[in-house]
Amino acid sequence: MIVETSQRTTSPELVQNIVSPLLKQPVPPMQPAMGFFTDTSICIGCKACEVACKQWNELPANEAHWSGTSYDNTRQLSATTWRHVQFIEQIGRERPQISTLPFFNNDRWLMHSDVCKHCANAPCQEACPTGAIIRTEFDTVYVQQDICNGCGYCVVACPFGVIARDEHASHTARKCTLCYDRMKDGIEPACAKACPTDSIQYGEVEQLKALARERVGLLHERGVSEARLYGVDDNMLDGGLNSFFLLLDEPAVYNLPQNPSRPSNNVVPASLWSIVTALVLSLLGIFFFSNNK
Amino acid sequence: MQQIRLPQAIVERLTPTQIAEQLATLTTGYTPDPEQELRESTYYDLPVLKAPVWHWEIIWYFFFGGLAAGCYLLASIAALFGSREDRIVARTGYYLSLLALLPCPPLLIKDLGRPERFLHMLRMFKVRSPMSMGVWAVMSFSFFSGLTTLIQAARDGLLGHARGVRWLALLPQSWLALPGSAVALLLGSYTGVLLTATSIPLWSRSKLLGGIFLTSAVSTSIALISFVLRLVRTPLGTLHKLERLEWSVLLLEMLGLLAFLRASGRAARPLVGTAPTEHGTTFWRFVFGTGLALPWLLQTLSLLTKRSPQRRFPGLLISLLVLLGGYFLRRTMVEAGHTSSQDARTTLWNAQS
Ligand code: SF4
Repeated sequence: MIVETSQRTTSPELVQNIVSPLLKQPVPPMQPAMGFFTDTSICIGCKACEVACKQWNELPANEAHWSGTSYDNTRQLSATTWRHVQFIEQIGRERPQISTLPFFNNDRWLMHSDVCKHCANAPCQEACPTGAIIRTEFDTVYVQQDICNGCGYCVVACPFGVIARDEHASHTARKCTLCYDRMKDGIEPACAKACPTDSIQYGEVEQLKALARERVGLLHERGVSEARLYGVDDNMLDGGLNSFFLLLDEPAVYNLPQNPSRPSNNVVPASLWSIVTALVLSLLGIFFFSNNK
Repeated sequence: MQQIRLPQAIVERLTPTQIAEQLATLTTGYTPDPEQELRESTYYDLPVLKAPVWHWEIIWYFFFGGLAAGCYLLASIAALFGSREDRIVARTGYYLSLLALLPCPPLLIKDLGRPERFLHMLRMFKVRSPMSMGVWAVMSFSFFSGLTTLIQAARDGLLGHARGVRWLALLPQSWLALPGSAVALLLGSYTGVLLTATSIPLWSRSKLLGGIFLTSAVSTSIALISFVLRLVRTPLGTLHKLERLEWSVLLLEMLGLLAFLRASGRAARPLVGTAPTEHGTTFWRFVFGTGLALPWLLQTLSLLTKRSPQRRFPGLLISLLVLLGGYFLRRTMVEAGHTSSQDARTTLWNAQS
């Protein structure tokens, strides 16, 4: 599935390879929408998800790189890193002291396992000109590796910097598949399976969203007033995210855009301005050329 | 006395970088506030977005695609509305349009991660994806440009005098001009719309990029056509028309760019600012300075002094400057887009509420 070996292809095979992307295949019956709920309040930063993801999806290890900023040397999601654990060190926060006891202070470490958001209206999928990026029967966003031709439009469309072009092996766009292969067999994705604290939960989106609301309510009750949900309501990208988060600070702290705009919404205003310009330019041209003084 | 001398003294002491910086602040309406920006949260300043995978191929494609579209449009306008003398614009324009179109497909294909799969683009017709629309625009424009130019070549006797060729020459070229021009307008503007429909703050914030690229497509095409026409003997009236058209299109382009900068505000910094990663010095020098303002001033002068437009200088110079400016417009816009994608703070600011 990952690397296409360059075997010798016979001519019937060659014809098949050329024709098959053009054929419509039967659509599998729809299933309930599946997604992730990543609860950062119980993440312990063990990176089991990162490793499990690489193992299951046969993704190469990252080049060793010392970030120098935290225990996070992965630094960002990439074409070959589909889960990424952030370590946010908040030392000397300006905040009312939570306790007068000497061993309680305001310093804290936030951990957050980032992943593709499987947006309900996925900008990457809307941008894709080949139709390589599809919604699966589980309502997840999936890049068909045999169709993608690596045009790179999804890379700049994604408002979360998730999807990337693999410049070393496949030269196609790659990202989290929500373990489509495992889902088809009814097994939970590798990262969720490996997570020891259940910070990553996998399930039906609607149930997970209810769970997330319950969890944030509980945290608020216990005085963690800064807890908030990210991507659960329908506001984000006009439809919410199928892979959403519980955060303990503003989204920007996690490098998450607070309210990204949906790139495809720009097509109409940008086209209107282009049409106005086209009219002005054509009229100028007609005016000067028909004016034979 | 002193009050008069003071501003002069300031102007004299400003380095080019400082002038660029002042222009940046003035045009974007945003004064960089490093302290405030440092207070904004990010994750160790790592980029929020992925950098575009588009490089020199796409810059040249934008340039040549613009020329192909603009030349076709001008040729059609000259053919449909111009005088008998203006036919030369139509002929030159159609030939140049096809010539400029030739490098486009190879550049686009080379730019892909998997060039051998370029035909996969044709599996889809997706109105909401400017990339998909663009592919179809290039395809259909190739048809119109190719056929129109073929008819032109047959009429000009370039294809010999076989019966088929004579038959070809009789085809109504002007019927093609209208749908062809519509597709040309699409080709000239979709590239800007494509950049607008992304998450990159610089490209997406103002929504004006489609119009700007189209205007630049036309201004560079006028420059290219008049450059060629000046090298051959061309009726004075026709050259004069092109000159006045160029003057007004350049003005429109400058106004468009200023509106773009103002509407983008802070997001336009990578394009106009002067920090080491920003592209302001190139932008102000080669795009706005020698690419737009200078040729426009020269054009104003030569129109005002009513010098015979047949004189090659400064006409040739104006053309060269405009072409250079058009190239640098696309280049700085693409490269500054890379810078913009790496700026976490501005990306997060851009995505607020
Ligand atoms: S987060 Fe990015 S890559 Fe994932 S579905 Fe949304 S747009 Fe696509």
